[in-house]
Amino acid sequence: MGINRVLITRVLVSLAGAIGVLWAVATLTFFAVRLIPGDPALALLGGPGSQASPEALALVRAENGLDQPLFIQYLMQLGRLATGDLGRSYALNQDVAQVILPQLVGTLTLAILSLAVAWAFSLTVTIWSTRGGRIAASIGSGLDVIAAALPHFWLATSLIIVFSLWLGVLPPISTGTPAGLVLPVLALAIPLAGFLSQIMRPALLTALESPFVLSARARGESEGGVRRLHAIRHAAVPAISLTGWAFGSLISGAVVVETIFARPGLGRTLLNAVTARDVPVVIGVVMIVAVAYILVTLATDAATRLVDPREAESGRAARS
Amino acid sequence: MSELGIQTGIGQSSVDRSTRGAIPPLWGTRVGVGEVLAGVFALLLVTAAFVPWLLAPADPLAIDPLSAFAVPSPAHWFGTDESGRDVYTRVVHGAASSLLIGTLATAIGLGLGIVFGTVAGMSGKVIDFTLNRFFEVLFAFPGLLLALVVILIFGPGVATATIAVGLATAPGYARIIRAQLITVKSGAFIEAATVLGHSRARILRRHILPNTLAPLFVLATLGLGQAIVWAAALSYLGLGAAPPAAEWGAMLSAGRIYLGSAWWMSFFPGLVIVLTAVAATALGRSIERRMRHA
Amino acid sequence: MRTNPVSAAGAAPRLAKPLTAVAAIAIAALALTGCTAPSPQTASGSPRTGGTLTYASGDAEPTCLDPHVGGNYPQALLSTQFLESLVSRDSDGEIVPWLAKSWTTSADGLTWEFTLAPDVTFTDGTPLDAAAVQANVAHLQDPETGSSTGYLALGKVVSTEAVSPDVVKFTLSEPDSALLESLSQPWLAIESPTALKRSQDDNCAAPVGTGPFVVTKWVKQNAVTLTRNDGYNSPPADATNTGPAYLDSITWRFIPESASRYAALQAGEVDVIDNAQPDTIVQAEKSGSLQHLDAPRPGASNRIELNSGKPPFDDVRVREAFIRSANVDDAVASLFQGTATRSYSALSSVEPLAVSEPKLFGYDQKAANALLDAAGWTERDADGYRVKDGARLSVQFPVSTNQSIPAEQSLFEQIQATAKQTGFEVVLEPMDLGSWYAALGAHEYNAVSAPYTKVGPDVLRILYHSSGIIPAPSGYFANNAQVNDPKLDALLTQAGQVSDPGERKTLETDAQNLILAGFYILPLYDQQNHFLLRSDVEGVRAMPTVSTPTFQGAWLNR
Repeated sequence: MGINRVLITRVLVSLAGAIGVLWAVATLTFFAVRLIPGDPALALLGGPGSQASPEALALVRAENGLDQPLFIQYLMQLGRLATGDLGRSYALNQDVAQVILPQLVGTLTLAILSLAVAWAFSLTVTIWSTRGGRIAASIGSGLDVIAAALPHFWLATSLIIVFSLWLGVLPPISTGTPAGLVLPVLALAIPLAGFLSQIMRPALLTALESPFVLSARARGESEGGVRRLHAIRHAAVPAISLTGWAFGSLISGAVVVETIFARPGLGRTLLNAVTARDVPVVIGVVMIVAVAYILVTLATDAATRLVDPREAESGRAARS
Repeated sequence: MSELGIQTGIGQSSVDRSTRGAIPPLWGTRVGVGEVLAGVFALLLVTAAFVPWLLAPADPLAIDPLSAFAVPSPAHWFGTDESGRDVYTRVVHGAASSLLIGTLATAIGLGLGIVFGTVAGMSGKVIDFTLNRFFEVLFAFPGLLLALVVILIFGPGVATATIAVGLATAPGYARIIRAQLITVKSGAFIEAATVLGHSRARILRRHILPNTLAPLFVLATLGLGQAIVWAAALSYLGLGAAPPAAEWGAMLSAGRIYLGSAWWMSFFPGLVIVLTAVAATALGRSIERRMRHA
Repeated sequence: MRTNPVSAAGAAPRLAKPLTAVAAIAIAALALTGCTAPSPQTASGSPRTGGTLTYASGDAEPTCLDPHVGGNYPQALLSTQFLESLVSRDSDGEIVPWLAKSWTTSADGLTWEFTLAPDVTFTDGTPLDAAAVQANVAHLQDPETGSSTGYLALGKVVSTEAVSPDVVKFTLSEPDSALLESLSQPWLAIESPTALKRSQDDNCAAPVGTGPFVVTKWVKQNAVTLTRNDGYNSPPADATNTGPAYLDSITWRFIPESASRYAALQAGEVDVIDNAQPDTIVQAEKSGSLQHLDAPRPGASNRIELNSGKPPFDDVRVREAFIRSANVDDAVASLFQGTATRSYSALSSVEPLAVSEPKLFGYDQKAANALLDAAGWTERDADGYRVKDGARLSVQFPVSTNQSIPAEQSLFEQIQATAKQTGFEVVLEPMDLGSWYAALGAHEYNAVSAPYTKVGPDVLRILYHSSGIIPAPSGYFANNAQVNDPKLDALLTQAGQVSDPGERKTLETDAQNLILAGFYILPLYDQQNHFLLRSDVEGVRAMPTVSTPTFQGAWLNR
């Protein structure tokens, strides 16, 4: 019973926290975007070379509630959000949900694949470099530092030059085929892999020296088994706990990468919406990212508990 | 990229915190090849920033339309751009503005980080909880959006880009400073000092601050390189330095449309940005190691 | 009552002033180049039916595919494939029949009657009749539609009437010499009245016209799919292919990054790209696998407008000095690598009435220095800029990054560098479109480059008549040079009303001479509009109206 109450309280606190986070995000974004100089109604009608008539402007203002005081507009926005209505895009003449949801798949595919590839790269290089002696370690850590420092935009265009223009093996734009995903995923995954390795390598080295690994060795377990079962699990914990953050940064990276590879996605939608001062879409994207972040954090916590032997121990201890 | 890099420092330190002193040094405490290279590069960078004419005597803005798009040669080490300007000269003269943007942005980010991180770390549970949630949200918030919004509010330009980068990196700094404070506060030596009856002020002055501030220096070094990459990303989106200023990000952005025919226009500024970030990271790590072994 | 009034345009050019002799030669030369606007059509066998063509656009994805709504160039590029207008223009600049097979105008120029082509139906089965045209005019003039380009073009149209099912009458408030040119534009295309009755959202997603293709799918931020209209029977009078299109379908993609767009073309992922950059054009012309379609846009030339409404450009000497101190020729040569030709005209070279005056725009630092000295800008400050009464000779120049291609932005940088030598400080301010409009609206500029696409010389009235200084409610005004000259106003107003082509030509010529000699503008080149195609794409031509490519006659030779 006591455990249940603790559990319920924890869930409630998390829920309140999540709603608070969403409210804060919505408020900050609304006012930040509205601080941008210029008339949103004009932005809606102001394509290159077009000149809106006074009637058209007045109509657009009334349609979008832009003739209301700012605070009323804010309340209107919050009210709609509370009922799950993301509102209507100023610029795209569509419901925000309709704008965002189809883009979500593309970006999530890109983000999840990049995350997976980054982990694969990172684990491979880390294990190899901690096993290969001092030279391998130096090369490994050098690679990490360089990879983590590569700007997405530079990496993406360089990948296009090498693999599309020179070698002609991969398409330079997203074609909807798996081959079209390779370069965008690499452009996002390589810097992330460098970053993950930088965290994992020292942790792995520490773990390899720790008493439980020594005792495992003493028990006669194979070196591969020791690494796989014990050391890696320890080393991965700090990197896993940053996955929530990594997700947010992948969204940032997606803005650039989606533009360069002409991939449909949230990042491109976001960049366009910010330029068009399309407040509902900007808030919509940010809310979606915030929700995704909350979900990813929960998943990360669970994963940490699963992977980290210490957490698992303490979890069992608490429950018993 | 940019965002990742800043966090590199954070992730690293949060690991180091729990494993302090346990890591066998990769290069030992003696000076490694990487450190020497990074040091030499940093020295060149500082020279370029303060006395650019020592390295490149020409005018970085001088146009020469008739020798536009010249390939790298002894006359033009890094080639020329679309207006016939010497890319090498521009890269050298661009060091000052890139370093200035990086330094100021890091200062803003770190300054805000220290203020909010300290308030959170030294306050009671409620304020700490609220602030910490706030950092977490901002931390996860796509940094590029934050920067884009700042730029759209104040208009594009070097000053705005600097502020945008500073603001976007502040939550990360705040988080780590708070974590560091809390770790130090609960450290065994503080407990020992408390047991010995030392005053709060003395504990703060003699133990907490030095142990918290020292890693900041490392963070700043790491952050500097990343702030430069950040600013370059903004310039790449056309929101940073105005043309024809010799700023690395702006040069890279201008060169990207000529990638197919004049690769050198974007390759060299890009290379310098990457090298700066790498050198900053290498030096930061090196300082960190030295401090740990000191 | 005459048919095709503009067709008499070239008949008897009256040489009113010595200047016009030069102009006439220029026009003849331009008409020739206009004809040879290189269509990559090659005689390699008979057209083959079938296949899908992939088009990659560097323009922003339209938010609405109906060009009645708003009305910009990206919309026109797409709608050219599925919508058609009442009239078109041929490569000599003459108006030719399209959905209207003939037309007549009254002697006072206040009424026009259009007879529609027979047996044309919209792709939803609705027949093309007078009522359909009326519905379109009403749609364009309805504030709810939010039309700006089409709305302005129909400014003089007060009412329409169905004389018979296939004859529609337009009544005007005053004569409009530009009416046919206006109607030829894709922004005034005729859509199915049945489809127009749908909600604006539905109509934006898939407008219904009479064109060679039909919009079948639009996945936002990815692609628009266009499928062949098998019942197509209404090509413009100058089309080679008189039947349905050869292509099965077109996939229309959006690739904003120019390097990626070109890479995709090289890799064969796409067949056609627009907004091709100069260096890629040069590369493409060298390669055997790509071809180049150069289709300068009509209307105004690309030019820097000098704000004569405030210092320092309220002094004609300072304006001339600025123009003389800008080394445009070398810059164009290095940046555009032969893909753009220097313009000395207020109008695009595709406009038959364009007047070109090379000697007014020569680079001459000595003359510029003398002019500035005479204007009182005699001192120089420590940075080498000229100073008068403690104020620096500074030129605020907001640059729209959406409208100026990178090569053009580099051109401005070179002008900045050469103008510095005579003591001008040019402050380039790159900004997004919204901020750029705001800067213009607030009159925070001394120089600006604002492209303007419109069929015909009437664009001069929009850009240089003093009424163009009065801002719209949005703050927008078209007369960025703030030319306020009663003599010019009179010429332009008259030119917009006369019905005699010869008279119109004289008036437009005189007006251009006033504009050019007043040093209000620094012409650069035609509005650049370059397309690159895979060499096995045949039969593509640019519409001589607003230079959008049409794929009605296109086929894949593979």
